[in-house]
Amino acid sequence: MMRVLDYEIPDKLYYSKEHEWVSLEGREAIVGITDYAQKQLHEIVYAEVQKEGSEVKQFQTMGTVESVKSVSDVFSPVTGKITKVNKELSDSPELLNQDPYGKGWLARISLTDFKKDMEKLLTADQYADHIKTTET
Amino acid sequence: MSKVQRVTHLYQFHKQNAKIVEFAGFQMPIWYKGIIPEHMAVRTHVGIFDITHMGRVFITGARSEVFLNHVITNDVSVLTPLSAQYSVMCNENGGIKDDFVTSRLEQEKFLMVYNAANREKDYQWLVQNAKTFNVKVEDVSDNIAMFAVQGPNAQPALQKIADADLSKIERFKCGWTKLAGVDGFVSRTGYTGEDGFEVFVWNTPLSQPENAVKVWNAILKAGEEFGIEPCGLGARDTLRLEAGMCLYGNDIDETITPLEAGLGFVVKLKKDSFIGKDALTKQKTEGIRKKRIGLRMLEKGPNPRPKQEVWKDSQKIGYVTSGTFSPLLECGIAMAYVGIEHATEGETVMVKVREDKLLKAEIVKFPLYDPTKYGYARQK
Repeated sequence: MMRVLDYEIPDKLYYSKEHEWVSLEGREAIVGITDYAQKQLHEIVYAEVQKEGSEVKQFQTMGTVESVKSVSDVFSPVTGKITKVNKELSDSPELLNQDPYGKGWLARISLTDFKKDMEKLLTADQYADHIKTTET
Repeated sequence: MSKVQRVTHLYQFHKQNAKIVEFAGFQMPIWYKGIIPEHMAVRTHVGIFDITHMGRVFITGARSEVFLNHVITNDVSVLTPLSAQYSVMCNENGGIKDDFVTSRLEQEKFLMVYNAANREKDYQWLVQNAKTFNVKVEDVSDNIAMFAVQGPNAQPALQKIADADLSKIERFKCGWTKLAGVDGFVSRTGYTGEDGFEVFVWNTPLSQPENAVKVWNAILKAGEEFGIEPCGLGARDTLRLEAGMCLYGNDIDETITPLEAGLGFVVKLKKDSFIGKDALTKQKTEGIRKKRIGLRMLEKGPNPRPKQEVWKDSQKIGYVTSGTFSPLLECGIAMAYVGIEHATEGETVMVKVREDKLLKAEIVKFPLYDPTKYGYARQK
């Protein structure tokens, strides 16, 4: 686990520049929003991901998260089909703030071509650099 | 127009403790701990807001009462010295130029406090209309710091540093008092629905912020035992929305009349004449066609947001002007304008929260919280 500025960045995940993370599990990926993203949004009061069975494309909208004051799109970091969404978020959207890499996961996606997705994703080190540039 | 980012006397405090946003040209705190805990602190204990960004003018002269009654819709002749009153001023069409609070400081001296976003516009409008009245309109915004201390514990917290007996100052009354040894002025007014005070620190230009900082810190310290939290503009917005108070630029503007906005109580059509009177008299006679209402979402889902459409029976009947998640009610709430024939409390309507999603909402009266449990009129 890396810590950059005030933000946690687990080593083994892949990241998008839009602050989503990907955890690879065989042919599926678990995706969510990063610690940086949840800290920027703060106090998440609503989260919604497209229905199970939906096809999602890399970097296209897969859902929205709302804080008290704002609404933000969540972009899928990978291409594939949503096999499972985290239903706990509907009653407890604050899990996204409390545990963004754990209980606050958004969806499981069965991957179409992760090798291709990976070309446009960042490693933890690269993401850390990305955060540093964004913050300064 | 060049955009100069302005700050208040408390900028260092805000920068160290809050997330900062730009609002009406000012660098202001949006939250310190978070909108939800700050909101709840005000509803259950007490919170303090820096509202120095607001506009303030003195209006002085023998004819200041006559002038004000010409330019605003409410009647200031009923104000005794050290009383305050909510009002709007309108253009000739009856559209709202701004909403504000006027306090009568002396028989021939008034203080108007209006929206930060309208500082230039309001000042110009007042000066322009004052020409034939021989009154002095003086913008004192930059010389005064202003804080709101709001919540059920506002009085005991503030009393600890005030030499005047604050229990003697009733709602919409004002008084002079030293605060932590500094000359101050307080009015029992606010923008949260709660009991509380708006605190003015005179003669403290930005170049000499010491007195403003001293009073702010003293209130925070005095309020510690009462659960005080510094609060940002985020909680200020959610609190006023629950209370049913309008935000200029969202819920009211120059295309909306006070009658449509449900602010008929500040329009005194019996006054001789005032700007917008003819248009408002005509509208009152003919009847309004749309009206501001409160909404409480009945279904879980995205929260209502400004500009979303309101539907009923497959027809568009209006639009949302303010919408948020309510920290107290823990559901979406909104203000909207709907056709007068639909503006009935208890009716169910739909809010188009997304292109493909309509959610049920109930038309409810303001305030949106239970006034026996929260707000200035709560049962103790």
